[in-house]
Amino acid sequence: MGTLIVLLVLALFLTAIFTGGYNKDFLDRVKTSKVWDWLTTVDHKKIAILYFMSGFFFFIVGGIEALFMRLQLIVPHNDLFVGDTFNELLTMHGTTMIFLAAMPMIFGLMNAIVPLQIGARDVAFPFVNALGFWLFFAGGLLLNLSWIFGGAPDAGWTSYTSLALNEYSPGPGIDYYVLGLQISGIGTLIGGLNFLVTIINLRAPGMTYLRMPLFTWTSFVTSALILFAFPALTVALLLLMFDRLFGANFFDYTMGGSTVIWQHLFWIFGHPEVYIVILPAFGVMSEVISTFSKKRLFGYTSMVFATVLIGFLGFMVWVHHMFTVGLGPVSNSLFAVATMAIAVPTGIKVFNWLFTMWGGEIRFTTAMLFAVGFIPTFVMGGMTGVMLALPPADYQYQDSYFVVAHFHYVLVGGTVFGMFAGAYYWWPKMFGKLLDEKLGKFHFWTFLIGFHLTFFPQHFLGLFGMPRRVFTYQSGVGLETINLISTIGVFGMTIGTLAFIYNIYKTFKVEAQAPADPWNGRTLEWAIPSPPPEYNFAQLPRVRGLDPFWLEKQAGNKGMTPAEPLGSIHMPSPSYLPVLMSLGFFIAGFGFIARGNYAVGILGLIVVVITMFMRSFEQDHGYHIEPEEIEDANKGVQA
Amino acid sequence: MAAHTHENTAPQNGHLETASLDGKNKVLGFWLFLGAETVLFACLFGTYLALRNQTMGGPTGEHLFDLKLVALATAILLTSSLTSVLAMHAMNQLKLKTMQFWLGVTVLLGLGFLVLEIYEFIHYVHEGHTFMSSAFGSSFYALVGTHGAHVTFGIVWISTLMLQAAKRGITTEMAPKLFVSSLYWHFIDVVWVFIFTLVYLLGKVG
Amino acid sequence: MAGHNQQSTTNQPASRKPEGVMKHLISFAIMIVLTALAFYLVATDVVPEGWVLPLIIIFAAIQVFLQLFTFMHLDQKGSGYYTLFIMAGILIAVVSAVGIILM
Repeated sequence: MGTLIVLLVLALFLTAIFTGGYNKDFLDRVKTSKVWDWLTTVDHKKIAILYFMSGFFFFIVGGIEALFMRLQLIVPHNDLFVGDTFNELLTMHGTTMIFLAAMPMIFGLMNAIVPLQIGARDVAFPFVNALGFWLFFAGGLLLNLSWIFGGAPDAGWTSYTSLALNEYSPGPGIDYYVLGLQISGIGTLIGGLNFLVTIINLRAPGMTYLRMPLFTWTSFVTSALILFAFPALTVALLLLMFDRLFGANFFDYTMGGSTVIWQHLFWIFGHPEVYIVILPAFGVMSEVISTFSKKRLFGYTSMVFATVLIGFLGFMVWVHHMFTVGLGPVSNSLFAVATMAIAVPTGIKVFNWLFTMWGGEIRFTTAMLFAVGFIPTFVMGGMTGVMLALPPADYQYQDSYFVVAHFHYVLVGGTVFGMFAGAYYWWPKMFGKLLDEKLGKFHFWTFLIGFHLTFFPQHFLGLFGMPRRVFTYQSGVGLETINLISTIGVFGMTIGTLAFIYNIYKTFKVEAQAPADPWNGRTLEWAIPSPPPEYNFAQLPRVRGLDPFWLEKQAGNKGMTPAEPLGSIHMPSPSYLPVLMSLGFFIAGFGFIARGNYAVGILGLIVVVITMFMRSFEQDHGYHIEPEEIEDANKGVQA
Repeated sequence: MAAHTHENTAPQNGHLETASLDGKNKVLGFWLFLGAETVLFACLFGTYLALRNQTMGGPTGEHLFDLKLVALATAILLTSSLTSVLAMHAMNQLKLKTMQFWLGVTVLLGLGFLVLEIYEFIHYVHEGHTFMSSAFGSSFYALVGTHGAHVTFGIVWISTLMLQAAKRGITTEMAPKLFVSSLYWHFIDVVWVFIFTLVYLLGKVG
Repeated sequence: MAGHNQQSTTNQPASRKPEGVMKHLISFAIMIVLTALAFYLVATDVVPEGWVLPLIIIFAAIQVFLQLFTFMHLDQKGSGYYTLFIMAGILIAVVSAVGIILM
């Protein structure tokens, strides 16, 4: 009760301050400050930067966790991080990398580029977009606070029951996992929904589906996967929360529950999730390879078809994560066949990338290097994937380092390479400055070599019988050298990432602005200044075909032909409600994690409900940018 | 869009809800959301149907469920679905009062349904069928309770919109909000059709 | 967005015929009948026991399609995307639910 009163009084004070009751000057200073601007922004380009930067921050956190694990495994019988600590590290590494690093970095690129590529001034729901980011951030923060308050989750990123139930995981660790992921999951879901509507409803005149750049296509399919896969995670986490906090019995077999249901729910979400994080990387690669080969993407239509097919099949294969559960030969065979079928559309993509480069005028920029490095790396991950898809063989590989090697080849070799390629390629469009190419190439080579040094030997660790998720191993059974090589490789990746960080720092200090079209690009985003003005396009462009900007350049035109006269442009107003609503969720999550007294949790939910009402009753029509202002801005650029 | 937010003419094709780009976005976005909700409820249904025989010696569905009560609840919710669609008719003809009347009836029927459900739950708890008694209990309350929570949210939502409509009238800004809430209400009814079939009737069939 | 300001200025008389009310009443009547029939089948033994479950599931499916296509207006022009996404959702939902139940 005491806490409650303190919180209420604090809330009243804050309300007084922010309504101007305390000091008008102070309020004005706050409202014109940069921080307030970023907190309340609904501009997709700023949200992109927020997503990308927080994703990169969590990537560093997850990377440090990985480094710690490899340090522990550098020699047998090591005692650097043992037992629970190691379990916490491996759980948080997986969870952070998938949910808090890969997803937001993907959303960052989608936010920055998709509206530009389809020739839109904004996304369909700017408010929802901002809310999506802040929910993700609140959830990620909540999850990582577990390190400080009460201990991190330690049941693996899959959090299998019964291990994740109260009996075997006492303490708040798993509660952080459940509530943190629930909150960030809601954010991801509404983010995906926003992009679906944006791509369907806001394409520029002439931008038909089969003229959309491949990154937009993969973002579209990814968003659809998010839409249909995340509800399964929502249910899984909800039921686990009921089991842990409210004494329900979904997964407790002594009360009739079933642990297999958790596995089903988790993987019904989890398998599409794998494609959610890989498809946008495919899209980035397609753009990069086509631009730097100075050729139209080979087999564009088949690429689109393959993307949609991969998305569809992604929902039909979840049981291949459960081959050893004992569901019987019929389901195992069915899902094995479906899994192997996915190799077909993926193979189509690989060949299309190779044929795009064939006979092209190739420029090996850093982005292109990452794309070229991606192809063989990803193919190796795909090959081991097909090996794992065979149930009899899977019984051998199951839970060994072979699996670890496999999914790092696809997730690092696919998604991380994709994000790096995207970062180097679109950095000028996002920030208006070019990243240093020399440092970039150093980054690529150290990272690539470090990566293969780390994970290639792990295939053999697995085949020699080393199980995954263990904190030590015996000496004298032939595992020492391989583990040592693997740990040395991590330093390569670390140096590469440090080079990238230094590159970012250096780039921010450079004065020179990037040109609008630094790479001789093909798609619409290169037709506007870097970084784009807040309304993106002064006049919506008319699209005449695939690679619209390239077509205009070939026809000798300087830019896109406008599809409308210069007119006043409607813009959405910034809003502080997304931050406030996410804060409510954050408080609620924390309240439920601190068990025994739900007052704080309910207080948080009340904040959420109040902000929802505020949003519903708000009548805000945004503001308009007049043609004169746009013309002034254009002159400024030319002068 | 702001330019014609307050115009008060019936739209050409008879659909005020998709007369503006904002409206089009909202309606499409909401259909996508319903697609996600479908998967959410499917997961809950799957869990319930997999666990429904795990009563651990407690009362079974066949023993607990009272078909008369369920039939009444079903009739109430089905009727509210009809009144909701009638409200949308009134909206597209710009008849504010008729629309408010039908929305009011919808809310009242929703409240009636909720009262029946709460009464039912209290009755079950007395019979020893609780959230914690068995996997059957947990999955039953998770599924039916989630639906009940949706009904509650719908009641609050529609009431809020009635307040707004009373103040602002039927505009191109209000219409998509009202239409979307009606879609939500129908969706709740769709879920209930499966609940009475796969939970209550199936419970009686055994 | 900007090209939008020109349209929707045509004035339409506010008194338009209540199209479709009949359609909704009919589909409501069918729903009530199907529901009653389902309850009746379960409460009595008019059909063999093995038939009851498939029959009531079919009734439920018909009701859902009536809701979707009449009450929720999927039968109208321009509903292609809505239908596409809700059907995709239903497909994934059925696959997932059946997977959980059977395995």
